[in-house]
Amino acid sequence: MDEAASRHLRIEADVERLADIRALVREVARACRAPEVCINDLVQAVDEAATNVIVRGYHGKPGWIEVTARLVDANIVVTLEDEAPTFDPTVVPAPDLSIPPQHRRPGGMGVHLIRLATDGFDHRPRPRGGNILTLTRSLDPRAKEDR
Amino acid sequence: MAMQTTMDRAEGRVPITIMGLTGELDASNFQQLIDDVSRLYDEGVRHLLIDLTELSFMASSGLVALHGVLRVMHGEAPPDPEAGWEAFHAIGRAVQDGSTQSEVQLCGAQPAIAQVLQRTGLDQLFPSHVDRATAIAAF
Repeated sequence: MDEAASRHLRIEADVERLADIRALVREVARACRAPEVCINDLVQAVDEAATNVIVRGYHGKPGWIEVTARLVDANIVVTLEDEAPTFDPTVVPAPDLSIPPQHRRPGGMGVHLIRLATDGFDHRPRPRGGNILTLTRSLDPRAKEDR
Repeated sequence: MAMQTTMDRAEGRVPITIMGLTGELDASNFQQLIDDVSRLYDEGVRHLLIDLTELSFMASSGLVALHGVLRVMHGEAPPDPEAGWEAFHAIGRAVQDGSTQSEVQLCGAQPAIAQVLQRTGLDQLFPSHVDRATAIAAF
């Protein structure tokens, strides 16, 4: 694994910085010689997760996100750390048309895409407040639905 | 991340406005797409082709924008940008209703974007074509 296959980035919580996060994920995934389907899945999932933190976690207040991407065995693992109020996106329910609008939670579209694009989607509270989200995508060239 | 748009006109069976998107469509710029289409609708545009050939990434906020574009082109208010979940369910209801529309069509979606459309059901709401010529013939 060359050095570019492990990268770290800390950015302010601003949707204008999402492109920097996507660039980092692409750089690491290409250094890992990940197939295009894998790269696309990972970029999508990390963008959705970071967007949720910025838009719904910090909710316009100043903050930061730290992104770490690295190769672990045959998986690319991306960790997003923030100090927004603790929120576990992994428990957001799958889309259910029977739920009345007033009971629906925001962010469902992004989480739906994260689930489909990753092999692992884990949350744990950050010890000093905030969240640590770990997204894992195998180097499998097939989309999850095709395996 | 800037997203550029280009505008063209074509004559099929109806006058068609073609909006080409270049770059990446994400939470930083999705409102721009809804605003641009709102202006077009106010100017009298009623048939819109969105060319995705040069679009390399579409986040879920881009899907909300597409859904908003559809509402605008049907003379409805665009959805609340914060209501991602509601937009998702509205899309689901429209698909369940078997709603079909031809006022807004897509062309040139790259595989990653076609997959996002498919994974969220939007592919069932928007007629999608390989290229502009095929799309123009379909209006």
